[in-house]
Amino acid sequence: MKISLEWLSEYVDLPNPAEDLVDVLPMLGIEVEEGEDSESINLENVVVGKVLDKNQHPEADRLSVCSVELGSETPAQIVCGATNFKPGDRVPVALPGAKLPAGFKIKKSKLRGVTSEGMMCSAKELELGEDDAGLFILPGEAEIGRPITEVVSKSTVLELEITANRGDCLSHMGIAREVSAYYQKPIRIPSIQTNARSIDSPNQNCLLSSLKVESSNCPYYTLWSIKGVKVAPSPDWLVRKIESIGLRPINNVVDITNFVLHETGQPLHAFDLKKISGSSIVVREAKEGEKITTLDDQQRELNPKMLVIADSEKPLVIAGIMGSVDAEVDANTIDIVLESAWFHPGNVRSTARSLGLHTDSSQRFSRDVDPQGVEYAAKRAIDLILELAGGTTSEEFVSIGQPPRGSRCIEIESDYVEETCGFEVTHDELIESWQRLGFSVSGTSPIEVTVPSYRSEVDRPIDLVEEFLRIRGTSHLHGSQFLCPSLHRDNEPSYDLCERAVDNLIGQGYQEVCNYSLRSTDELSDWFPQIKQEEIALGNPLTADHTHIRASLLPGLVEVLAHNQRNLNTLNRVFEIGRVFRPGPRGNAELISIALALTLSNSEKNWKDQPSPDFFYLKNSLERLLHATGLNFPKGHWQTIDNQLPWQCGYAAKLGDVHKNKLEIDLGTLQLNLSKKYDLKGAVIAAEILIDPILLNKKKKPTPFSVFSTFPPAIKDLALVVDKTEPADAVRQKVEEIARQKIGQEINLDEVKVFDVFEGKDLAENKKSLALTLRMRAKDRTMGEKEVNQTFENILEGIDSETSYELRK
Amino acid sequence: MENKDLQKIVADAEASLGTVTSKPSWEQAKATFLGPNGCLTQFAKGIASVAKEDRPTFGKSLNLAKGQVESLFQNRLSELEELENLKSLGDRIDPTLPSIPSFYGGIHPLTKTRRKIVAIFRKIGFTVAEASEVETEWFCFDALNTPDDHPARDEQDTLFLPHESKWANVPRKKDEAYLLRTHTSSVQIRTMLREKPPLRVIAPGRCFRRDTVDATHSANFHQTEGLFIDHKVTVRDLKGVLDYFLTELFGGEVETRLRPSFFPFTEPSFEVDLKIPDLGKLSNKWIEIMGCGMVDPKVLGLVDIDPKEWTGFAFGLGIERVTMLLHGIDDIRHFYQNDQRFLSQFSGQS
Repeated sequence: MKISLEWLSEYVDLPNPAEDLVDVLPMLGIEVEEGEDSESINLENVVVGKVLDKNQHPEADRLSVCSVELGSETPAQIVCGATNFKPGDRVPVALPGAKLPAGFKIKKSKLRGVTSEGMMCSAKELELGEDDAGLFILPGEAEIGRPITEVVSKSTVLELEITANRGDCLSHMGIAREVSAYYQKPIRIPSIQTNARSIDSPNQNCLLSSLKVESSNCPYYTLWSIKGVKVAPSPDWLVRKIESIGLRPINNVVDITNFVLHETGQPLHAFDLKKISGSSIVVREAKEGEKITTLDDQQRELNPKMLVIADSEKPLVIAGIMGSVDAEVDANTIDIVLESAWFHPGNVRSTARSLGLHTDSSQRFSRDVDPQGVEYAAKRAIDLILELAGGTTSEEFVSIGQPPRGSRCIEIESDYVEETCGFEVTHDELIESWQRLGFSVSGTSPIEVTVPSYRSEVDRPIDLVEEFLRIRGTSHLHGSQFLCPSLHRDNEPSYDLCERAVDNLIGQGYQEVCNYSLRSTDELSDWFPQIKQEEIALGNPLTADHTHIRASLLPGLVEVLAHNQRNLNTLNRVFEIGRVFRPGPRGNAELISIALALTLSNSEKNWKDQPSPDFFYLKNSLERLLHATGLNFPKGHWQTIDNQLPWQCGYAAKLGDVHKNKLEIDLGTLQLNLSKKYDLKGAVIAAEILIDPILLNKKKKPTPFSVFSTFPPAIKDLALVVDKTEPADAVRQKVEEIARQKIGQEINLDEVKVFDVFEGKDLAENKKSLALTLRMRAKDRTMGEKEVNQTFENILEGIDSETSYELRK
Repeated sequence: MENKDLQKIVADAEASLGTVTSKPSWEQAKATFLGPNGCLTQFAKGIASVAKEDRPTFGKSLNLAKGQVESLFQNRLSELEELENLKSLGDRIDPTLPSIPSFYGGIHPLTKTRRKIVAIFRKIGFTVAEASEVETEWFCFDALNTPDDHPARDEQDTLFLPHESKWANVPRKKDEAYLLRTHTSSVQIRTMLREKPPLRVIAPGRCFRRDTVDATHSANFHQTEGLFIDHKVTVRDLKGVLDYFLTELFGGEVETRLRPSFFPFTEPSFEVDLKIPDLGKLSNKWIEIMGCGMVDPKVLGLVDIDPKEWTGFAFGLGIERVTMLLHGIDDIRHFYQNDQRFLSQFSGQS
């Protein structure tokens, strides 16, 4: 919101310099936005000049050559393109060496062959105003040669940011009240001449014959009559005020309503009587599908949740937001009906929101205007209309309903203030700070504080504590020496898990990255066509590339790899930890995901050869990660992933199912066509862990110790010919199972391991050979050769009889 | 005479070992001297022609020479074995060559800042709480004293999920809409409903705004929420805790101030401003760093904590913002572009 300091000073004495407010207001809770206005202007080498002579440029129709007096003996010759000046005018002149705010440097130069020793400037060029139509003609007899900054001060306008609770500050008077409270200067409220009596339905003096309010969203509505006005442009002082806060002047009546809005914070609406059909007004809910063309020339469709001010035929105004083109006051208006009302903030807010139509008026109504200011604002406007546009007003105004809020009394104990603030306060301090705010105070225990109607948000003792602190200031508030007795609370297990994972993956040489959670439709269909898109779509996306929440971290990782490859960076192994979102059988689930990816082809050259990472390399990364973070692999075998994006068929596998096991791991090469889409050279190997956070809530029991054999193991290897399609781990597990059966309780068997795979040569085409190693040890002795061989024979027999595996000799 | 011969054998053995460079040639050489047909064995056979009384001397000299030869061979063998072991080590190293593999991992700057913040609060008894990024209107707004028609609750800024979407692991209050949390303050609510005071938690996490991405805005960003609930907590306690935190994070030279502000869920509410003597262009200027306030009694009431018995404060700060201030980073998009030239500057632990 823009506040003109000059305007503000009409209601309260401002500090000197007034710019001190830039530091004071924020400490009252009103932020001043940084901008050009709050900086002091620097216009070196720009001085007052007097035009002595103005002649046509010999070579250019649009230029004139002027002689300008600058305070030195000889006048300067300046070429100028503006036309709005005449000899005798005083204007700002930028001399050679001056630098204009836009960065333009002034030099002595030739324009179409004529020497120019400077530049005469417009207000805009010096950022002293908005006017760029011609030169800035200085008023009065400014001393020639004086620096311009000493002659013209910028009309300072502050851009204020008002917090959502302080609707009362959305006006010059509102800010004046705050300034008054801070500096303890009296506030000057313009006095009112208009004196009208309220009646509850129109009589013969009123311009309208009927007024009805049919909605509880308008508890208080007043309507005023002004006859015989002369609509004309506003006088200078009003135009200046309207322009100073960035509005466009329209005509005296409209400008007055805008002026009063920015003066008091109460929006008003002026209707042209002849445009009101049936001479009646009704405040009602809009009909379904009812249409209105608002002043911004947009046709808008309304619904019954929206409130309108209508005549007998059509809606004239979307209540509290914007009028229609049909009821506008224009140059031909003679009789005016003026509305001043209080609309329900929530209703105005939701209507403005659903129409996407936010106006000065809706902004104020939706932040709760002062119900007791409704009448004042109307009278203030009528005073000004009668003064500037003539006309007469009736002795009555129609008023329906009551102000929904008045002043109210809050009881508070000074102990309560102390308990909240943590320091001692005197009774007098409290009373003084509340009185400065315009609250009236009586009593001692409890203290009774009466808060005026404009402070909608102050209605509990805690709110009074806040007001006290605001006025007292916090600069003397010292932090306490706090005590922190232990609370015995652990970190959330999911947090600790992720922290361990970060450390582990960094240790394994992966770089942590961070990608957006919002992704595009295209990406989702490229990567996870099997996921029902609508389940994880946003209801109100803002942009086309942010329409869904991420189902996986992998696309982001691939983007990062591609970005770095494209920029010839060497980064080629990355990971991310974050939340992903997956539809599931019982609804969607938010999951923790840990994902890692690496590209095979990267340009980094090495002086020594390195084996190229593959599936098994990444499988090991995962094993190390899970081991270090305390996650157990889901039970079951790795299943190859066939024909399912984003994985390359035959080169990827998964373990577990996040919806069943609360943990799932997918691992492998990403589909080659997919990584190609990112212009990535070389395959991407990636892994993704999905964890339902519920999994982490279980507390693990300590592992019980089991006695181990201290005797050396007997090691036996065997090779089995099996079907090519048989998973190695299935063979391994089967062998281990048979071996355990055969060797009995007395002998320990370490985990059986696969150590070689072999295909081709003398093997059938659909067969492969697996070599496994067995390590056995007796609990109480070193096993003799005979015993070992016998045991091994038993195992081989077992394999032979229980499986279709063929022992390779 | 015999002695001279023996000495020559020993000398010959030594000389021939000088040319022995492998185990096979060592074996060969050894056979030449000590084998059944070796010259020492041959020499020993000469005992037959030695006078009986000279035989002990002969034997003694012979054994001495044999001992010498054997030890020569043994030493040479050790040398050969050592050479062989050395050979398996390859060439001698140039320690200045780069490591293989030469990559190393690194931490993301946002994680680094988050860890710093969590570590500071850990020292004064705050532990981490977490909740979901998908939230509901009740947890994100209503429970935080921000009813539907509240001006602070602008749907323009909130990303909603479709009304019909259902979330299996994000419990709702009733049947309110799901959304992406706009702040980590929702973690306050879930924590207070689950755990009873006294409470001291810090809740770092990802949040979302319906914003277009530019140098200072991001559709998702990270915040850290803090909540302190206990008996008789005052505004001074709030100031004390935050001063401690900011001093730890930005160094002992910082100045802080509480500037009145507004959040629906705290009363009174403040922005915390910070002044740091050495922060580039921002040196010695008041910079807004975080929001805070005393937990509004209404919020406590909504989560069944008696505001007459318990009071507390809450605060929130942006992790991106803190990171940008700490390192002088000028564009928030760097965090999400993940260019190695950016990441590598901050990837070490510190």
